[in-house]
Amino acid sequence: MTPDEGGHADRVVPVYAFTGGRTRPAGQQLPLEAVVTATGLSLTAGPSLRMESRAIVEMCARPKSLAEIGAALRVPVGVARVLVGDLANGGHLEVHLPRTADGDAGPGHAILGRLLDGLRSR
Amino acid sequence: MDSVRVDAGRPPPPASRELIPLKVLVAGGFGAGKTTFVGAVSEIPPLTTEQHMTAMSVGIDDTAAVPDKTTTTVAMDFGRITVDDQLILYLFGTPGQSRFWFMWDELARGAVGAVILVDLRRIDDCFPAIDYFEDRRLPFVVAANAFPGTEVFGDRAVRDAIALPAGCPLVRMDAREPRSCMDTLVALVEHALARSVG
Repeated sequence: MTPDEGGHADRVVPVYAFTGGRTRPAGQQLPLEAVVTATGLSLTAGPSLRMESRAIVEMCARPKSLAEIGAALRVPVGVARVLVGDLANGGHLEVHLPRTADGDAGPGHAILGRLLDGLRSR
Repeated sequence: MDSVRVDAGRPPPPASRELIPLKVLVAGGFGAGKTTFVGAVSEIPPLTTEQHMTAMSVGIDDTAAVPDKTTTTVAMDFGRITVDDQLILYLFGTPGQSRFWFMWDELARGAVGAVILVDLRRIDDCFPAIDYFEDRRLPFVVAANAFPGTEVFGDRAVRDAIALPAGCPLVRMDAREPRSCMDTLVALVEHALARSVG
């Protein structure tokens, strides 16, 4: 197989082949900064997962955002979103969503206060 | 040593730790220092996300009077700061070109706020970002990035030139300096906190 000349020589499978042609996750629309961690289930069930899903579960032994997963797998965020959505639905991953005060608004007062303390102490 | 013993064949208990992701947008014109800023404060080497976007674009170019369905790939730099045992802050450099702004709404939703970097030699470049965040009432600070050879302008002159609202902080900084970038983030969060209801 000849690598294409589009700058992704190491990506030999069309990215949407990973997701069975789907471009929307089964569950909720995950934002870019949603953080994902592996559950215990994923460690026992790991070998039965497809390669790319297994790679996600393994890298999420430490918390990773959807954006980081996309970057690590060299796939667009939309593809990572589908894979992560499926793994979360299957109980392999736990998804940590941003906590916003309401709808489109930013984080609440208490969280902003903690963020400020944390940044100041660095 | 912080090694963890794992019994073979038996998974460790799942991490039940609750994590809270947060994000800050880093905006500004082309070459204003967005990538430098993200790299200066990120604990991981800055990464690039790739988004395939499909959007109905109407009149983006002056010549385009007809709605057109476009597909494009947009790359964004981002970085991460682990704030404490629960909070993880992500920094996203926004795509510089205004024709990619259809994706800003997704990025802006739920954000702490934005750092708008300004190169004082090309001050007009920051106007679209300022308009965007003002319209959406998202907290932002304007960060005048110190480029060598820039004429010295007083705060008053800069605020007047960009018609900065009275309550909005103007920060003098150097995006190459991690300390300076962290101070800018602190100024943003202070501003966001002051605006939020206690």
